[in-house]
Amino acid sequence: MECSDIQQRLSAYIEGSVSSEEEGLIEEHLKACQQCSESLADLKKTLEYVQNLEEIEPPPWLKQKVMARVRSEAEAKRGIFQRVFYPLHIKLPIEALAVIFIVVTTIYVFKTMQPELELAKAPSEEVRPRILVAKKEKAPALDKGKPAPARPTEKVMGAEEQEIAVEDYAEPKPPARIAEGEQLRPSAGAVAQDELKRKSLSSELRLAMVERKGEGVRFTLTVLNIETASKEIEDALLQLNGRIVKREHVENRNFLTAELDSQNMKELYENLKLIGDIDEKEVDYEAWEGDREITIEILKKP
Amino acid sequence: MRERNQTIRDEDHELVSLCKKGDVDAFEALVKKHQKRMLNIAYRMVGNYEEACEIVQDAFISAYRSMKRFKGKAKFSTWLSAIVMNLSKNRLKQLKAQLHREQYSIDNPVLTKGDPASSEPSALEKLEKRDIQQKVQGCIDSLDDEFREVVVLRDIQGFSYDEIGHLLKVPEGTVKSRLFRAREVLKDCLKQVIGDL
Repeated sequence: MECSDIQQRLSAYIEGSVSSEEEGLIEEHLKACQQCSESLADLKKTLEYVQNLEEIEPPPWLKQKVMARVRSEAEAKRGIFQRVFYPLHIKLPIEALAVIFIVVTTIYVFKTMQPELELAKAPSEEVRPRILVAKKEKAPALDKGKPAPARPTEKVMGAEEQEIAVEDYAEPKPPARIAEGEQLRPSAGAVAQDELKRKSLSSELRLAMVERKGEGVRFTLTVLNIETASKEIEDALLQLNGRIVKREHVENRNFLTAELDSQNMKELYENLKLIGDIDEKEVDYEAWEGDREITIEILKKP
Repeated sequence: MRERNQTIRDEDHELVSLCKKGDVDAFEALVKKHQKRMLNIAYRMVGNYEEACEIVQDAFISAYRSMKRFKGKAKFSTWLSAIVMNLSKNRLKQLKAQLHREQYSIDNPVLTKGDPASSEPSALEKLEKRDIQQKVQGCIDSLDDEFREVVVLRDIQGFSYDEIGHLLKVPEGTVKSRLFRAREVLKDCLKQVIGDL
């Protein structure tokens, strides 16, 4: 081995990190080479100086300063945690109250909104007849003073036509206009009152329809046998090209509603007189025009 | 050369675990245990006592903040030494820009290794010893950073080549070759400042 090779390996040789074979070669060389032996001695001395450097002692304040900063940071972290969750004995009741408040408010808002939402969903039936009544109230006002027979052009509305009319009136009216003249009560207890209102309006509708029919013709026929008489009357109506609109049986009496051309009204009247006792006074039916609704009440003779 | 006690399990494992759970007292125990060694590493790197104290403080604070990221792949002391070494090198760069490096350190560290009172050296011996110490430190200071760090870690602190490689993130062979060259430079420097070794 050359001196340069030996000197490069001296650092490892000192630490004992060379193989035994290499160690033997180095030692053999060192015995013969003064220069490399001096290099080894210098290296050993250098390491001795370095390793004998005295250790310095940390100042007492070093740990205190470090821990002061560490504790300060730990407190800051804990501070955020505490602000959010502690002290529980104060935060929990506040949070519980907040939850209760939110729940109560939600229920109140929901109950307040519910009736309005239902109205908004569909202009319900109870509103529609109201419109019809309003219309009904206005119509006679315009024709006030005119006798009924003097209004031959006014068509007596059938049930189907009434439905159509109701639709026609109701459709273009927004809920706001529907509410005119009637107080909607959007309150928590509104449901029961809505039900009452519905019943009241239904009665008004029936009344309106009766009044409407009153503009047609109404007979009351007293017969021996209601069922037989009813069939005979229906046959008579059909023969006169009449159209049966409705059949009703209420408390031992039949109601028969039909539409009939005014021109055939007199003949019907004559036929009815043959079937039973009629209480309707004879009217000048020939002055009438178009179809008329007639309602025949069929009573059993006492 | 100081031999390090190689154990598979880190002796600081329990304290580190407690620290991760937020136990500040456990961290204080780690500070107490390692502050001297970390200060010596920093001091031998920067050659200035006050600077070394600052570096060690910052290193411990940095370790505390990063404790949850410490996976235990190396010993806690090795991980902490790496932090000190990085901070020291950063500080050196700053100091180089600010100060004109003197040949020898003028700083006067607190020396602890004293002989017993009965055999206390004379004032002259003390002065000579301090003079030698300052010259050696001066030579260490004159080394390039990559040589200085291996001398400090291997010859002064006694880390293994494996630990130094892990700590500096360089291969073990690189550590050995750097150390060989560092020792040669140091030897030449000491010959110059002390005379015959």
